[in-house]
Amino acid sequence: MPNPIDVVEALLFASDAPLEAERIREVLDLEDADAARDLVMALTARYEEEPRGLSIMEVAGGYRMVTRPELAPWLVRLARVRTRVRLSRPGLETLAIIAYKQPVSRPEIDAVRGVNSEATLDNLLERRLVRIAGRKEAPGRPFVYETTREFLIAFGLRDLGDLPKIEGELVIPDLTPVESEHAEAQAQQDPGPGGAEQPAGS
Amino acid sequence: MTTDSDLTLRVGSFEGPFDLLLHLCRTNEIDLAALPLRSITDQYLAHLEAMDFRDLEAAGAYLVMAATLIYLKSKLLVPPDEEDEQLDDEALALKQELEDKLREYARVKAQGAWFGARELEMSLVWGRPGATLPDVDELPLEDLSVDWIERAMKRLIEEQKRARPRNVEANPPSVLDRMTEILSVLRDTWSLLFSSLAGGERKRSEVVVTLLAVLELVRQGRIKTQQTELFGDIVIERQAAVPAMGETPSA
Repeated sequence: MPNPIDVVEALLFASDAPLEAERIREVLDLEDADAARDLVMALTARYEEEPRGLSIMEVAGGYRMVTRPELAPWLVRLARVRTRVRLSRPGLETLAIIAYKQPVSRPEIDAVRGVNSEATLDNLLERRLVRIAGRKEAPGRPFVYETTREFLIAFGLRDLGDLPKIEGELVIPDLTPVESEHAEAQAQQDPGPGGAEQPAGS
Repeated sequence: MTTDSDLTLRVGSFEGPFDLLLHLCRTNEIDLAALPLRSITDQYLAHLEAMDFRDLEAAGAYLVMAATLIYLKSKLLVPPDEEDEQLDDEALALKQELEDKLREYARVKAQGAWFGARELEMSLVWGRPGATLPDVDELPLEDLSVDWIERAMKRLIEEQKRARPRNVEANPPSVLDRMTEILSVLRDTWSLLFSSLAGGERKRSEVVVTLLAVLELVRQGRIKTQQTELFGDIVIERQAAVPAMGETPSA
């Protein structure tokens, strides 16, 4: 019987999708998934002890063997062209809305962005980062969208719980009515210099 | 990508009303205690003018935003009216709504930035790209959705469309060839039916060529045609004593 750690290494090498601990347990006929996790940990430790070109990454509910980031330049040279096209800002924002609010319909996405998101959404669907999760019981029964496993892989997330809590920086204009004279004077002059930027989340 | 049709605002990198408003709030370094809403609305209207108004939907979205701002502005200038409590509530609600939307959008923007950074990080990492193991019996059903069936179907249809011109066709006979053919048939017989020439499995293009050939022969006075009923078959007959044309045998 070969060293089970070697077996896990071979399994990870041969898998094109993240390999779940449960699957490793099944293949190796282990007692439970924790035993499988321990083996992966041992393998990871081995990789850290004596750095190699590869590392083990926990992603999308499984483990994945990937190249080390600092080796990217050579891989780019190998591939000549990096074909992975990065998402545009609207694309990233639309994806963020779906990731954090899923399942979510297009009208809801549009409402947050204030613009029509159809083309952006199509692109995300095309890249399999999101998918149709069903329909919303609302007027027009719009499709609702959710993120896919590919999304988790593409962004290196173990699961949706990996999404950080992020608050945007926001300057909220104080719209409280002030004394009319004061307001008038303010309105006449140009935007005063030296304003305050107020971090959001207040 | 990003062909969002309504992102026609040609100013900087703005992507939408909330994007724009957020930007205005940020760059217009305002004293928060007293908001010069006018400068915001002014900038807003300038942006509106700079915009391509062909896109009514986007223009409409901007206008609603601008109108809301102007309304709030007007509430600032008019002395509070104690009798009109309701209207004040309305303004507050509007203000609240606007704030909420802005806050939500600011968050989404930050989240989007985070995703962008993450994407960049992940672009340095290569994983196994394709399956080397034979397919597992069970398909990853969890990642399938209806639109993939539709996509697959569309692709098939596209492929079919593209495949069609590949069917190599023999050169369609020329009108002259067909004329010769008709005359050679008429050498042995006095009359024939148009359907026997053009019927059966012949393609539309051939039918057209045959018809042209027949018409040309009629014009040259070498054959006669008769059609006894509307849409009926055309009887083609040899015209007696036709002059010879080239190698075509005459009667």
